[in-house]
Amino acid sequence: MSKRMLNDNYPMWLKDLRVSMPLNLSYIPIGTACGILLHAAGFNHLLTILVSILVFSGGAQFLIASMLLISSPFYSVILMLFFLELRYALLGSSLSKYLQGQSDRFTFFFAVSLNDENYAINYLKFSTDKKWTPKDALNVEHYSVLFWTISNLIGSFIGSALKIDLSLVNFALTALFLYMIMMQLKSMMKLLICVISIGLSIVFMVLMKSTLGLIISTVISSLIGFALENYLRNRHPKSNALKTFKNPAGTPKEN
Amino acid sequence: MKWNATTHLLLVLCGFLVALLPRFIPLSFFRNRRIPTWFNEWMKYVPIALFTSLVVKDIVITKNYTFSVSGKLPDLIASAIVLGIAYWTRSMALSVIGGLIAIFALSFFV
Repeated sequence: MSKRMLNDNYPMWLKDLRVSMPLNLSYIPIGTACGILLHAAGFNHLLTILVSILVFSGGAQFLIASMLLISSPFYSVILMLFFLELRYALLGSSLSKYLQGQSDRFTFFFAVSLNDENYAINYLKFSTDKKWTPKDALNVEHYSVLFWTISNLIGSFIGSALKIDLSLVNFALTALFLYMIMMQLKSMMKLLICVISIGLSIVFMVLMKSTLGLIISTVISSLIGFALENYLRNRHPKSNALKTFKNPAGTPKEN
Repeated sequence: MKWNATTHLLLVLCGFLVALLPRFIPLSFFRNRRIPTWFNEWMKYVPIALFTSLVVKDIVITKNYTFSVSGKLPDLIASAIVLGIAYWTRSMALSVIGGLIAIFALSFFV
C-alpha cells in the first residue's frame, strides 16, 4: 500500500519515465546497431535523426539500411516498408477504443510515435491500470522515441569512427525478426502459417527474382491462415489448432 | 535513380508517409466505430507471415534470388539460439544481443 501511495506522489513525467525505462534501455544496443548500419548505407547524422523520429521502427530502419546496402530501387524499398508497416493497422485498431474522445491532433501525434514495443507497454497498462490515461501513453511513446533516436545517433557516430563487419551487424535485423516471430507464435495455427510461409517465400522469391515475391508470399500465407481459421471455427470449433499456447513468462489478462 | 543525400531524404519522407498511414487511419477511424471482424482476423496472420519471409530472405536467399544454404550454418545455429532466448526471456534486447554474440562467435569457429 505504501508503494502505491508513493507512486501517486510522483509527478506524471517521472511516473511515465519509470514505466518506459525497461523499453528505453533495451533500445540502446539495438538503436546503436541500427545507427551503424544506416551510416554504412550512406545516411548522414542528420538523416539518421530524421528517420529515427519520422519512421521510428526498428524493423523498418534496419530494412532501409540493408536494402540500400544492396542498392535496391526506390519503389522496392517503399513497397517493402509499406507491407512491413501494415501490421501497425492491427496495433492501431486494437488501441483505438482507449483513445475515444481524443482530438484529431492528439491521435495524429499518438500515431506518429506508435511502434511494436511501446504498444505492448501501453496496451498492457490500458487493460490493467484504470488510472492510465492517453496522455501517459503518449509520454511513454515520446520517451521511447527519445532513447531510440539518441541510440541511433550514437551508432551513426560509432559507424563513422570504426570499421565494422556489416554482414555480422546485419544479423541484428534477422534476430529482431526472429524475436518478433517468437512473440507471434501463440497457437498451432500461427506455427502452421509460419511453416507455410517458409515454403511459399522461397518459391516466390526464387520465381520472381525480387522482393515482390516476399510480398506475394505474405499475402497468400496470411489469407491461408484467415481462411483456415474460419473453416476450423465453423467445422471444428474445438480444434486444438485454435487454442492459445501457454506463455512461459505468463500471459497478461486482457479485458 | 541514383542514391544520394537528396534521394535519401525523399526516401525518409516517403517512409514517414507509409509508416504513418497504417498507424493513423485505423486509430482515427475506429475511435468511434466497430472494427470489422474479417479485417482483424486477416491482419492477425500478416505479421507472422511477413516476419518469416524476411528471415527466410536474410538467411537462405542469395543476392541473385537463388536458394542456397551453403556457408549458412552459423546463421542457422545463431537463429536457433535467438529463438531459444526469445522463448525463455521474451526480451527483445537479450534476443538481439545474444544473436549478435552468437553470430560473431560462430563465424569465428565454424
